[in-house]
Amino acid sequence: MSKFIEKLSILGETLKPIFSGHPIAIAGLIGFILFVFIAVFAPWIAPQNPYDLMVLDIMDGLLPPLSKLGNGTTAWLGTDAVGRDILSTVMYGLRLSLFVAFMAVAIGTSIGVVLGLLAALKGGWVESVIMRAVDLKVSFPGILLALMMLAILGTGVDKIIYALIIGVWASKARLTRSSALSEMKKEYIDAAEISGLPRWRIMLHFLLPNSIAPVLVMVPMSLSGCIGAEATLSFLGVGVPITEPSLGLLIANGNDYLLSGKWWISIFPGTVLVLLVLCINVVADRVREHNNPYLKSQDQQ
Amino acid sequence: MITYICKRLWQSCILAVIMSLIVFLGMYVVGDPVEMLAGEDWTEQDKIDLAIELGIDKPLPEQYFNFASDIVKGDFGTSFVYNRPVLDLITERLPATLEIALLAMVIGLGIGIPLGIFSGIKSNSRASKVISFFTTVGYSTPNFWQAIILIMVFAVFLQWLPASGRGLTNTMFGIEWSLLSLDGLRHMALPAVNLAIYKICMQQRLAKSGTQEILYQEYMVYARAKGISRSRIIRRHLLRNILIPIVTITGLEVGGLIAFSTVTETIFSWPGIGKLLLDSIHMVDRPVVVAYLILITLMFVFINFIVDVMYAFLDPRIRHQK
Amino acid sequence: MSKTPLLKIKDLTVTYPCGPEGKDEFKALDRVSINLSTSQIIGIVGESGAGKSTIGKAVLGLLDPPAKVVSGDITLLDKPLIGLSEEQYTSIRGEEVGYIYQNPMTALNPVLTIGEQVIEAIEANTSMRGKSAYKHAIGLLEQSDVSFAEDRLKKYPHQLSGGLCQRIVFAIAIAAKPKLIIADEPTTALDVTVQQSVLQTLIKLSKQEQVAIILITHDIGVVAETCDYVYVLKNGKHVEQGVTSSVLQRPTQDYTKALMASVPLIEKRLHRFALNQQDNAEDTSAGLQYLRAKEKSETLTKDPILEVCNLSKVFITPSSMFKPKDLFTAVNNVSFTVNRGETVGIVGESGSGKSTIGRMILGLEDITEGSVIYRGKDLKSIIDNKERQKHCLSMQCIFQDPYSSLNPRMSAGENITYGLKAHKLIDGNKAKSLAQDLMSLVGLKKQDADKLPHAFSGGERQRIGIARALSYRPDFIFCDEPTSALDVSVQASLLNLLKDLQEQFSLTLLFVSHDLAVIRQMCDQVIVMKDGESMEMNTNENIFKQPKSPYTQSLLSAMPVFNP
Repeated sequence: MSKFIEKLSILGETLKPIFSGHPIAIAGLIGFILFVFIAVFAPWIAPQNPYDLMVLDIMDGLLPPLSKLGNGTTAWLGTDAVGRDILSTVMYGLRLSLFVAFMAVAIGTSIGVVLGLLAALKGGWVESVIMRAVDLKVSFPGILLALMMLAILGTGVDKIIYALIIGVWASKARLTRSSALSEMKKEYIDAAEISGLPRWRIMLHFLLPNSIAPVLVMVPMSLSGCIGAEATLSFLGVGVPITEPSLGLLIANGNDYLLSGKWWISIFPGTVLVLLVLCINVVADRVREHNNPYLKSQDQQ
Repeated sequence: MITYICKRLWQSCILAVIMSLIVFLGMYVVGDPVEMLAGEDWTEQDKIDLAIELGIDKPLPEQYFNFASDIVKGDFGTSFVYNRPVLDLITERLPATLEIALLAMVIGLGIGIPLGIFSGIKSNSRASKVISFFTTVGYSTPNFWQAIILIMVFAVFLQWLPASGRGLTNTMFGIEWSLLSLDGLRHMALPAVNLAIYKICMQQRLAKSGTQEILYQEYMVYARAKGISRSRIIRRHLLRNILIPIVTITGLEVGGLIAFSTVTETIFSWPGIGKLLLDSIHMVDRPVVVAYLILITLMFVFINFIVDVMYAFLDPRIRHQK
Repeated sequence: MSKTPLLKIKDLTVTYPCGPEGKDEFKALDRVSINLSTSQIIGIVGESGAGKSTIGKAVLGLLDPPAKVVSGDITLLDKPLIGLSEEQYTSIRGEEVGYIYQNPMTALNPVLTIGEQVIEAIEANTSMRGKSAYKHAIGLLEQSDVSFAEDRLKKYPHQLSGGLCQRIVFAIAIAAKPKLIIADEPTTALDVTVQQSVLQTLIKLSKQEQVAIILITHDIGVVAETCDYVYVLKNGKHVEQGVTSSVLQRPTQDYTKALMASVPLIEKRLHRFALNQQDNAEDTSAGLQYLRAKEKSETLTKDPILEVCNLSKVFITPSSMFKPKDLFTAVNNVSFTVNRGETVGIVGESGSGKSTIGRMILGLEDITEGSVIYRGKDLKSIIDNKERQKHCLSMQCIFQDPYSSLNPRMSAGENITYGLKAHKLIDGNKAKSLAQDLMSLVGLKKQDADKLPHAFSGGERQRIGIARALSYRPDFIFCDEPTSALDVSVQASLLNLLKDLQEQFSLTLLFVSHDLAVIRQMCDQVIVMKDGESMEMNTNENIFKQPKSPYTQSLLSAMPVFNP
């Protein structure tokens, strides 16, 4: 436990110089933490389980915000066509959207870092193959590639994670490789080699911790990108299945009712989506700005 | 310079071949087209006949060879759904996509880049901070959500502009253009703005960081020390250098525009190739999807090649590379 | 001063906000005054952090925000310069004051031709336009000793060498016949032979054009050769000023005295640099004991510990479709012997292959041809990796760049003992005390072992690097330009440390440097290298007193000399 608190205080020390004096970025960070909290605890804090058919009542369908439901509770944000409480569907949708994006970024980044390190260390044909694959990927917009993947694979939560990973790994691999290559030129790596340390030790304790920083800086950006891409794909009907709607699919569901004045079905998930991505982007911008050598050198003088 | 271009051209050709191979493998190996086409009442013999007709009974390399040579001949097969040659379908709809993409690109570059350079130069000013805040919001709002808001505000609430279709078109060089009629332009306004908002935000951000990077180079300080006036430094030293990242961005943005046009066209029922792709995906019209992928791939390879050549024109360091 | 004052700087103070939320102030310059009369050459010397570049930038109004002038006056020919607008400064810059930048390669814009950049400066600062500006540009280049001037105007900066680029910058500086040129470390980025001729051009221009020069430099030798009058600065404060010869030879201030004592001399080899030795409060006995405890099996005779025979290195860029195979010979057929307990120096300009030799000895580069025999065994003949490792652990290295030679994510102590722990030569709890012992041995504080590398200065980091090398109880240490990134006073104390360690533990050193004076002070035997080949090999005394090869002679004559 004390170890945990120590880790937490180290985290605080790292975050402080990044965020102090930047109120918008702090607001973004707090907003993001709040969204993650809601997503994690959605099953416990949501007014109803919107996918439990037993609690749904078709009579409650299409009620505007603040309406009373048949069972006496209030639907703060209204209900959809089959009587689901919008507040609950948004919480569950947020949960799924964040889960998909987190998984895609985590797996994609790991694959990218491993391939990047491999390319930097092995060189030769291994490097050529990996880097040509990266070039190939980077020259295509991720969303189009994901669309094609899903056209082939079909829909499903696992499938959309695969499709998003395709969009994430390449830039990470490229960045890891270039960062690892510039670290490898540094003399502390030579010192480790002179000491006759095995390669895996050099890679794990010297190369990896020092070349991963620029990749980590990109992670928040990737996360918001994946959330947006997943929402877009789900909105187009090639993302998550109808049984497990994410924010994008919720918006698509409500889209048909927009013209008939039933605005709440789309507007609430849409607003949450925009706020979520905005919070992450504000944080991402601040982190990037903090790590930009051009702006930083000015800070220090 | 010539060697550089030849090298890039050669690489582009290899890239095109590899991409066609990936599309071929992706589309032809995953899933059995016979099963998809076969009706409930088909016999085994019917299926074998179809397989022979489609040429998928042959070994894989031969199939790829046939596939590739058909493409070179311009034969992309026939659409299952429309029962027409795929190439006709695509060429019919291409102008619609091109015209909104071009309009969006002009708006995006024309507004985004000047805004970006301005906020890069005056990065501490209030105006720059306001601009950057708005582009962050714009950039954080998914394309389809922007489209919904645009429709709600301008088509439903204010009823200023139509929300779907191409409107009246006029013919030029035998092609229908919405650009050439007032009604067409009114129909184009919302989808083009939808595509452009994202571009503006993206270009502003990239041009801003590019500008700042160049501003801190030593040659910028040295140009001041030489006694060159501020306006001239910006015109000559800054713009000349910033063109290099901007060309790359623009090249990649063309791709992004085509990609996001699938979303925009679907929402605004704009009859371009993006909508065709999405409809074909939903209706499992495979020849159309394959043809779209191949053509888009070739287009990307070509754009990348052009960007590389532009690069060499702009950056003497690359031009003189042996 | 009999001549009219050209530039008067009075009590100039420049500050940067620093600390959390910029509440504190850092004084880059603290009430510095400088006077300069027409066509005088003055030098401003000081070590890093002295604020010398800040003076040049302040005169031209080029201080990067948030730095600002808080008090003091700068007057150029009775015209006050402080508080001018950017437009007013623009008419001063180039026209009345020229500026020469430290690194010509980054000062010139990479996407504009030389011609565009020279002509631009002419048109901005003179009334010449078009053809006459072009003709003037050719004349300027020729004046700056640039051959093929017309042809060079069409080139881009990356197509020219550093020395040529610096001459182009000179041409730009004199374009409008200014009365003053501020030269900020104009030769630091150049090789010593180029440095000499570039400096000569600068002096020639100053004579021809009757222009005064403020030469900002850390190199005492350059000041001694070029300046009439010199100012010494330290941490933004004025220390001493006077006629160059008297300040350099009879300094009155303690700081200047120490600085002069730190400058390595070409003239004669000293046992140590005469520095005021600060008392090392730390107890070094434990560290000494650790190092002395190495196996005594090998007696300390003068037998060769390292023999290098016909060593060659060829770098091959494999052929591709559009490029033939490219061969580059970095080291060509070099042989030498290093005896136990002595120091062999390799000296040469950049690209001479001097570091590559060391990297091959240490096994960091493959050997193309030839052999390295260490402690009687040909390193090629040891096939077993483990055995080679064991044999070679007593061969260590001290690196050039203090900012990249330590793992930034490990504490100083971990950096020192990580290798030992990985080889299980020491167990975890003893490692910490050993790191502390070694740190006190190299003159650092024991309790700093837990700090990360970025908490140390460049000189301190080099000491950590030395402690890391010592942890293996080495016999042989390859020193790859260990002091080239350091200030001269830090260099002197580090070289003293190396000499002390060598005496105490009979270490053998292979010392690579581009600085002849450092080699003169450190080495018993000297090898002079050029373009991968050994030009001359002899004892220290012979190389410096009776150089045989013409290349050595030219190196020695190009070296700016300072003789107190």
